[in-house]
Amino acid sequence: MSFSELYFNVDHGYLEGLVRGFKGGILKQTDYLNLVQCETLDDLKLHLQSTDYGNFLANEPSPLAVSTIDDKLKEKLVIEFNHLRNHCLEPLATFLDFITYSYMIDNIILLITGTLHQRPITELIPKCHPLGSFEQMEAIHIASTPAELFNAVLVDTPLAPYFIDCISEQDLDEMNIEIIRNTLYKAYLEDFYKFCEELGGATADSMCEALAFEADRRAFIITINSFGTELTKEDRAKLYPRCGKLYPDGLQLLARADDYDQVRNVANCYAEYKELFENAGSNPGEKTLEDKFFEHEVQLMKNSFMMQFQFGVFYAYVKLKEQENRNIVWIAECVAQRHRAKIDSYIPIF
Amino acid sequence: MGHLFRSEEMSLCQIFLQSEAAYACVSELGELGLVQFKDLNPDVNAFQRKFVSEIMRCEEMERKLRYIEKELKKEGLKIPESFDNPKAPAPKEMVDLEATFEKIESELREVNTNAEALKRNYLELTELQEVLRVTQNFFRQHGSDRHNIIDDAQQALVNIQEDRSGSTAVQLGFIAGVMQRIKIPAFERMLWFACRGNVFLKYEEIERALEDPHTGDEIHKMVFIVFFQGEQLKARVRKICEGFRADLYPCPETGQERAEMLNGVSTRLEDLHTVLQQTGQHRHRVLQNSQKEIHNWIIKAKKIKAIYHTLNMCNFDVSHNSLIAECWAPVRVLDQVQNALQHGTELSGSNMPSILHRMKTRETPPTYNKTNKFTKVFQSIVNAYGVAAYREVNPAVYTIISFPFLFAIMFGDMGHGALMFLFGLTLIIKEKELLAKKIDDEITKTFISGRYIIMMMGLFSVYTGFIYNDIFSKSFNIFGTSWHSNYTDDDMKAVNLQMKPETCFDKGGPYPMGLDPVWQGSGNKITFTNSFKMKLSVIFGILQMLVGVMLSIINHIHFRRWLNVICEFFPQLLFLGCLFGYLVAIIFFKWVVYTAECTQCAPSLLIHFINMFLVKYDAPKNETIAYQCTASVTSDQVGCNSQTLFYRGQQSVQIALLLTALFCVPCMLFIKPFVLRAQNNAKLRRKAQLHAVSQTSLVHDEQDPSVDVVQTGDVAVTINGEADTKAAHHEEDEEEFEFSEVFIHQAIHTIEYCLGCISHTASYLRLWALSLAHAQLSEVLWGMLFKFSLAMDLKYVGSIIIWADFAVFASLTVAILLMMEGMSAFLHTLRLHWVEFQSKFYAGTGYLFEPFHFKEQMVPTLEE
Repeated sequence: MSFSELYFNVDHGYLEGLVRGFKGGILKQTDYLNLVQCETLDDLKLHLQSTDYGNFLANEPSPLAVSTIDDKLKEKLVIEFNHLRNHCLEPLATFLDFITYSYMIDNIILLITGTLHQRPITELIPKCHPLGSFEQMEAIHIASTPAELFNAVLVDTPLAPYFIDCISEQDLDEMNIEIIRNTLYKAYLEDFYKFCEELGGATADSMCEALAFEADRRAFIITINSFGTELTKEDRAKLYPRCGKLYPDGLQLLARADDYDQVRNVANCYAEYKELFENAGSNPGEKTLEDKFFEHEVQLMKNSFMMQFQFGVFYAYVKLKEQENRNIVWIAECVAQRHRAKIDSYIPIF
Repeated sequence: MGHLFRSEEMSLCQIFLQSEAAYACVSELGELGLVQFKDLNPDVNAFQRKFVSEIMRCEEMERKLRYIEKELKKEGLKIPESFDNPKAPAPKEMVDLEATFEKIESELREVNTNAEALKRNYLELTELQEVLRVTQNFFRQHGSDRHNIIDDAQQALVNIQEDRSGSTAVQLGFIAGVMQRIKIPAFERMLWFACRGNVFLKYEEIERALEDPHTGDEIHKMVFIVFFQGEQLKARVRKICEGFRADLYPCPETGQERAEMLNGVSTRLEDLHTVLQQTGQHRHRVLQNSQKEIHNWIIKAKKIKAIYHTLNMCNFDVSHNSLIAECWAPVRVLDQVQNALQHGTELSGSNMPSILHRMKTRETPPTYNKTNKFTKVFQSIVNAYGVAAYREVNPAVYTIISFPFLFAIMFGDMGHGALMFLFGLTLIIKEKELLAKKIDDEITKTFISGRYIIMMMGLFSVYTGFIYNDIFSKSFNIFGTSWHSNYTDDDMKAVNLQMKPETCFDKGGPYPMGLDPVWQGSGNKITFTNSFKMKLSVIFGILQMLVGVMLSIINHIHFRRWLNVICEFFPQLLFLGCLFGYLVAIIFFKWVVYTAECTQCAPSLLIHFINMFLVKYDAPKNETIAYQCTASVTSDQVGCNSQTLFYRGQQSVQIALLLTALFCVPCMLFIKPFVLRAQNNAKLRRKAQLHAVSQTSLVHDEQDPSVDVVQTGDVAVTINGEADTKAAHHEEDEEEFEFSEVFIHQAIHTIEYCLGCISHTASYLRLWALSLAHAQLSEVLWGMLFKFSLAMDLKYVGSIIIWADFAVFASLTVAILLMMEGMSAFLHTLRLHWVEFQSKFYAGTGYLFEPFHFKEQMVPTLEE
């Protein structure tokens, strides 16, 4: 019997308090209602000033670009995250590192795809997410095969163990890169899941649910995206992360799926996913499946704030903040392009 | 005093501002700082208000000013302190200001970009210089012959080729460059992995720190040389270098070329240095110009912004092209407000005057107590509990004296009091300097803002210390003690001696003022002072509560709550008076009547008081009772002890008092709710009658009701403002009368008061407890710490010990007795005022008057 709840506050109480405080700064529905009324980006800036963002745009000269807003939003998240990371103790430190790994995977894939299309590395670097940056990142373009990528670049990074499965001497092409991304993600999610299970207690309760959802979402998306490509069913089955609720039966069914309706049939066996696939669509007035997934994720993350003495809140905060950034950028984009028809399809958090 | 007793009378005013004069008028009002504007568009978003573009412009100006300020700080120029208070510039001038800032900013930016380019150039050249120097050294060490180097390099590599002769034929190339120090380890490993160990890396640190051209921070870099073999590897190494953001520099192959290049670089560096200096001077000149002005600029920008924010709170009347503002202002200063408005109108050159118009309203006005620097701290103590309801009696007036006095009862010591007084006095004498300094430390700030209360507390402590005859736990014998000892020298050798009051107390009467110093040496000092201080705290506590109850009648009369006078004030007064007033009376009785001759008969008041509640009276054994006490008869003869009745008719008086007090409870509890219910019922009945009458009259007159509505509508238009308030008035009258609620409320109130009287009286005993603790602590400090060094019989060394011991004694006195004890006494005083005193009359349900005042904008910082 463990008493981790008893000692939780000794090591992590301060940071948990901090993150719950940060959560209070997340924009509310009323803020969004005000934001969508904005005429120009300067209005947006003025309104954001009255929220927790404060003066984060105050020192930017006036014609604001959406990209500046995006950068500043990310910067704020990164500052907050790094503050947490710098003050934490084990095992929270490892936990927070795990959160950054997913950004690292995205960055690696972005850079490889970029170099494949002959883009200069200096142009690609600013597009990387700052949470997932690592030292060897910029030298990634020397690699032309996955084996090289592993031996030269990734062997020193924490991602190395995930990469073992995709070492091959094949040249990097689009297909390969997608496979690498998904294999990495699969290994990462399974590892993270295992780590949270080992932590046990309330952390396992909330995090395993979140990660299981993440794994299932990937499985669905991989399956849907693979239709009409040359990916074989066996290869596809290898990419499914095996830590979700779909594992093992649902994944087997998914592996045999040939079109969207079959995927939907698989989802129908699971109550929470059935709901998401219902009334999702790309017609106007309907929400896309992606948005439905995001909404469900937001709900899960909000629930994780209901429990105390667990690390799920840190994960949840980063995810919610990311969603908020997506929302603000979406609104800003709509405002900047004067394309107001779809401005309401942000995903409110609170 | 008059202003402090009640908050200022406020009035809600409507100001019609001509739109061209609005800015100037609001600016004048801001300088005056006596008007609180109401936000008339609370539902409107920040960016949908009228003057949002002006506010954006202000923010842009502030951004530029912040930039200039940052540059000033970077240059090491201080923003001069000044107490100038420039007026808010006219809107026309705002354009000029904007232009000036724009000019300075662009100029600065240009200078900065130039300087940055130059610095970058300079950095590159320095790095090149370092690269050349390092390579030169490196090649010199390993001999100028390249083959030797190759041999060395290959030896260093892992896969040393067996036959050396073959290796010499291989052409080795190299790349030299500079990289940040922290990246070197990762770089080395990466090179190793990516080139499978076929490269040789050599690096050396650049000893001096370099300056980052953009941020100006220090950066540490390293020079590295990579040797490799073949073109493919070269491309690969280049890519890695690029990935690690290394700066690569061309490095000639031969030593001579390198030496020449080094010379060339050095001369260019010198040239650049002079150019850099000149740019620096130019920058300095540009900044110096703005250095003088920036203080005023910041204030101006902030004032403009504040004015537009205020204007955003107004309604805009399109038909009259005017702004309508609503604001609270003290009635007493309405003339000043009028003048300010007039002045503002004149300044703007408008020919239409701005109109100030008093409105009637049912809204509660804000509470505004005008304070000066002395009363401010006392007012803030009261406000910390709750802001007084509008026009309620302000306890701050009484707090000015009672607060330091109650504090002093707990802190009574002439020495400690004097130290505290001097500390407060020093703060007051230096207050101008201290306030001018911007102190960020919260604790220091608290002391400075509480300087007057500290001084007062010190002063009162000196007085109570004099009464307690206590200075650093010692006593003075100023007037000569009134006790004498009847013992002979031989008797004195005994350990315990008693001085009987009958024989040893002088006939001349007691020590004229304060405690007799004889107690200082006596064994029963604590027993005596305890009894004295306990009685003292009960007396002062009950007096303070009595004052509180008396103040409540002033409130009742002022708000015309006559019902409360009869069913709250009088029963409360009687209740307190009959029980605890009586206690105070018998305390004085005991003090006055019982002299040294008949101490045995002195009644034990506590037991008498408890017995009064229990209605327990022993039948007197003897007809003679204790109050008839004279010198001639001893106590045995009288047959009295501390529990016998001590005045004639005591039993009947006490029973009467108790019954009166008990009678007060139902008075407080029942009368008010029932009277209120009767009133309400009567009102309802009247309404019903009126309704019936109006209906019958309508039927009789056969009047069309719709016509009536139109007519009232017309009336409403003509008397615009008042009609609204009347409507509100009606709505509020409709409030439901809930008897159970009123009754429960009254019951709670009654129980609170009755129990409160008892528990609060007990609570005042903290005065005695803390005073005792303070006296004991200071005695311990003296007896345990300092006394022994005085008692030592050592020559010369003793003086050193005394000196050292005094340091410890003094610092502990300050730390424990002054700071810690002072703090705790302060907190207890605070509690006694907030709970025990103010609960008797203070509602504290108001809200603070926060006038629009530029003073807040005076501090020239841009951070929010």
